[in-house]
Amino acid sequence: MTVLNGRKALKPAPGQGPAAARARRSNGTSDGLMRVYQLVLAAVVLGAWELLGRAGIIDEFFFPLPSDILATVWSWISTGYVFPHLWITLQEALLAFAVGAAAGLFLGFLLARVRFLERLFDPFLQMFNALPRVVLAPIFLLWFGLGIWSKVAFGFTLVFFIVFFNTLEGVKNVDRVLVDNARMLGASEKQLLRHVFIPSALTWIFSSLHISVGFAITGAVVGEYLGASAGVGYAIAQAQGVFDTQGVFAGMFILMIVVLIIDLLVNRLEKHLLRWRPVQSS
Amino acid sequence: MTLSSAGAPTQYAVELQGCTKQFTTPGGGTYFAVRDIDLKVEPGRFVSIVGPTGSGKSTILNMAAGLLTPSTGSVSSFGSPVNGVNRRASYMFQQDALLPWKTVIDNVSLGLTMAGVGKAEAYSEARRWLEKVGLKNFADRYPHQLSGGMRKRTAVAQAWIVNPDILLMDEPFSALDVQTRQIMENELLALWQESGKAVVFITHDLDEAIALSDEVVILGAGPGSTVVGNYEITIPRPRDLLDIRDDPRFVEMHREIWGRLKLEVSKTYEAARAEEGEVA
Repeated sequence: MTVLNGRKALKPAPGQGPAAARARRSNGTSDGLMRVYQLVLAAVVLGAWELLGRAGIIDEFFFPLPSDILATVWSWISTGYVFPHLWITLQEALLAFAVGAAAGLFLGFLLARVRFLERLFDPFLQMFNALPRVVLAPIFLLWFGLGIWSKVAFGFTLVFFIVFFNTLEGVKNVDRVLVDNARMLGASEKQLLRHVFIPSALTWIFSSLHISVGFAITGAVVGEYLGASAGVGYAIAQAQGVFDTQGVFAGMFILMIVVLIIDLLVNRLEKHLLRWRPVQSS
Repeated sequence: MTLSSAGAPTQYAVELQGCTKQFTTPGGGTYFAVRDIDLKVEPGRFVSIVGPTGSGKSTILNMAAGLLTPSTGSVSSFGSPVNGVNRRASYMFQQDALLPWKTVIDNVSLGLTMAGVGKAEAYSEARRWLEKVGLKNFADRYPHQLSGGMRKRTAVAQAWIVNPDILLMDEPFSALDVQTRQIMENELLALWQESGKAVVFITHDLDEAIALSDEVVILGAGPGSTVVGNYEITIPRPRDLLDIRDDPRFVEMHREIWGRLKLEVSKTYEAARAEEGEVA
């Protein structure tokens, strides 16, 4: 109780909220210095892992040495082994994302504007959304074969629902006043969509974009893992098949870097498209 | 009670006849926002509607705008019934209604571009309006980069650029500080005087209503409020709003109208107190 009270007393007074606190914090530790700390932390963790592995305290078979993993990553890259796989995976993810997002946007806008359809479809959408998506992978493999389309279909089911629900909420939560104002200025239904609903829903859609891009890749990789003839998931499955844990970790590492790069690009795009938004403290 | 001078025009810019608006409450009951509203606004007149909190001022304005349909009664504008949005009217909202994802100039020109005016022409007209409201150097800003007063100026330009015959204003300046507000009122009056447009102005501030208007309509305490008073403001124009509050005619009108409004305000207050008492 006393601790709690003590914490409460430490809370910043109103008027110097989180923004002020952040300013203080960033004054205390500059961004550059924080990077150094982060690098030190990474070095300590990886170094400890390496040393413990070399000392035989952790089993190298299950936890291969970071240096060995990096060597494998390097050989996958330098021999060009990983690139065809990566290309397949990205193709699947991109297709799943494009088709899923397009369908999610379309149905989201439609259902948000036509109340009848929303009520009609609601229980079915909830049912499909409740289904753990991984169980669909086997049936998609049967339907669409081992090629990329089974993975696209799998990624689609992941992306679609996120984009759909966010679009639905985004359109339904458009500020009433903005709609009334546009209508008073003579907006037709089509113009309302273009000038008010779509831009307003974009903020919601973008908040879901980071997640849905990640899910598109997840869909592709998991699909490949379960059955494929190419792709990073396939490469990982191959490595696992011969107990090559270094290969498994190398695949993970490469995927991680690729997703980081894609997320960076999404961030750029978001910053550009949402440049009208005040800088928010998030 | 309503205007019935001998030479009354047959076509009012806004005419509400016996308008009642009721809503169904979540509990299944019926809530009357306003009851039996009669309101006639002649073209070119500045009419203010004043009433205590919860007296349904915005409901009346929304019915005139066509954003709400009255439960009973009829709304017409220049002789034809209002069906859907009132095309002869522009609306200035109490809240910020600028599209935050459009720049100032895109916001101002929106009404024109949506009506099919070419972009170049719409922009040059928008520039003219931005100059009028003193924002010509802010055309490329986004609304969040402007102060509250500047956003209101943008909203004024946005509403006026389509050259409406009627301006519906719902406490447009209530969010501004007192000084900015007086400046905005003065500018509004200057714009209006050269325009010949009908204005319906909602406010809870009697000073503002008397200073600006030709006519002040007083609403009774809600719910189910109706028009309880109707006063002609005879202070000559042009008026300078910065000094008008010392004008003896202003003081006299204010005393008279406040005497009536006070009753309704205290009724609202008593009702709120009683409700609080019940809850407690």
